[in-house]
Amino acid sequence: MIRTSSLRNGSFIERSLLAAVSFIKEATLFEEYASRQGFMQGLAPGIKILTIFLLILTAVILKDLALIGLLYGLCLALALFSEIPITFFLLRTLIFIPLFSLFIAIPAIFSSVSPGQVLRQIHIFGITGMITSQGCQSAALLVARITTTVSLAVLVSLTTKHAELLKSLRHFGVPQIFVMTVSMCYRYLYLFAVMVENICGAIKSRVGIVIPHKRGQKFVAWNIANIWSRTNQMSEEVYRAMLSRGYTGEPRSLQRIKKNE
Amino acid sequence: MALHLNLFSSPFFIEQDLNMHIPDGYLSPATCGVLGAVMLPIWTVASKIVKKTLRARQVPYLAIGAAFSFVIMMFNVPIPGGSTGHAVGGVLIAILLGPWAACIAMTVALVVQALLFGDGGITAIGANCFNMAFVLPFVGYGVYKLMGVGSPIGSKRRVFASGVGAYVGICTAATVAGIELGLQPILFHTANGQALYCPYGIKTSISVMAGGNLLVFGWIEVLVTVLVFKYLQKIKDSSLFLLGKKMVDKKND
Repeated sequence: MIRTSSLRNGSFIERSLLAAVSFIKEATLFEEYASRQGFMQGLAPGIKILTIFLLILTAVILKDLALIGLLYGLCLALALFSEIPITFFLLRTLIFIPLFSLFIAIPAIFSSVSPGQVLRQIHIFGITGMITSQGCQSAALLVARITTTVSLAVLVSLTTKHAELLKSLRHFGVPQIFVMTVSMCYRYLYLFAVMVENICGAIKSRVGIVIPHKRGQKFVAWNIANIWSRTNQMSEEVYRAMLSRGYTGEPRSLQRIKKNE
Repeated sequence: MALHLNLFSSPFFIEQDLNMHIPDGYLSPATCGVLGAVMLPIWTVASKIVKKTLRARQVPYLAIGAAFSFVIMMFNVPIPGGSTGHAVGGVLIAILLGPWAACIAMTVALVVQALLFGDGGITAIGANCFNMAFVLPFVGYGVYKLMGVGSPIGSKRRVFASGVGAYVGICTAATVAGIELGLQPILFHTANGQALYCPYGIKTSISVMAGGNLLVFGWIEVLVTVLVFKYLQKIKDSSLFLLGKKMVDKKND
């Protein structure tokens, strides 16, 4: 939850904010891969979610590194057959969580965390560490498992239109009201991202300078509070708009979900 | 292809992963199953209470609440030493929406993150919801309510209570996450002692999780909660004042 961002040009708040805004905007609008005619795209969203969930569960249950490796190979093959460029897929899946997990797993290879059969002794900054077989195996298992599960989760989100993905939750007994709330939240994300971007632009155009480090905290708090006030007002307006269209509190879908979808 | 560029621009979600958001693979399926089962009655009670209090308003209200929790995570707060971090905002949302509505809103946010952004665990969703949608808002709100009850919503005591609530809430949630992670090598290992899931014992995981929050992340949570609360006090935000009025009324009743 912490970022060691450089303060070289002093605009760290704006940069980090706009990066997040841009990520949300693109993630909510960018459905290029979901629109392609690949293998995963051809599957019904409900079946796809179930399959991926079972594969993730298998990856979590498996204790054999080779079998997890096979599962990861299957995931990459599915990405290829789904017309997802493999470099893009690897970067998208490996950069964050698996890389972070690798850093987390490194201390686990030493005897202080995982006692057992010593494989090698190393000296770092005058400290002697003993790498154990058990430590290496548990660290490798953790990283392999996380890489596979993250890749599978990203695969389903890349190859499915998000609206269809949410709709298919109903196949698994998720109440319609929850699906409706999740769908609505998802649509608001884009709106909020635009709102945050506009606030940044407005401040920059009026103030014309970067925000000093000390005032940054107040700037952030003011923005969050301001967005809350606006969203609170918006929820009332949205509710009234829904009421005027005949909403009674019980969500009804115009599209029926077919059993084979 | 702008998404390609953003692969390196560090979306805010990853920062949350560094703290409490547990991805798949760290927890055993049994732990995930138990925590998911624990969450089921909580979600049921939460949805009943929210339905009773908000009635037809619940969908737009909760959807906006969930989206707002994303907004909180988008803002990086500068902290001493040239770093930035962001708050989770669970206690702030609990103060603004009430703890049951916050529980649903945080759950919605976590589901969106796991399913649509491929971030966070799908099997670990019950565990993540237990930590961030149950422990965090309820503990934080409990402390806030305990310290602030009877005092007017515009008072300094309420600001202080919101800060303490945020700090206690985030530290407790992190400690609970630390316990969940620390139990893994004790409960799930091979015959030769190889850990099958999170390899760190309970002492290490609790020290890291609780320590990080006690020293750094907890203070970010306090800073954001207190400053936002103060600002909402200043502009006399209706949600804050309605909730505060209810609390004072209850005390007077």
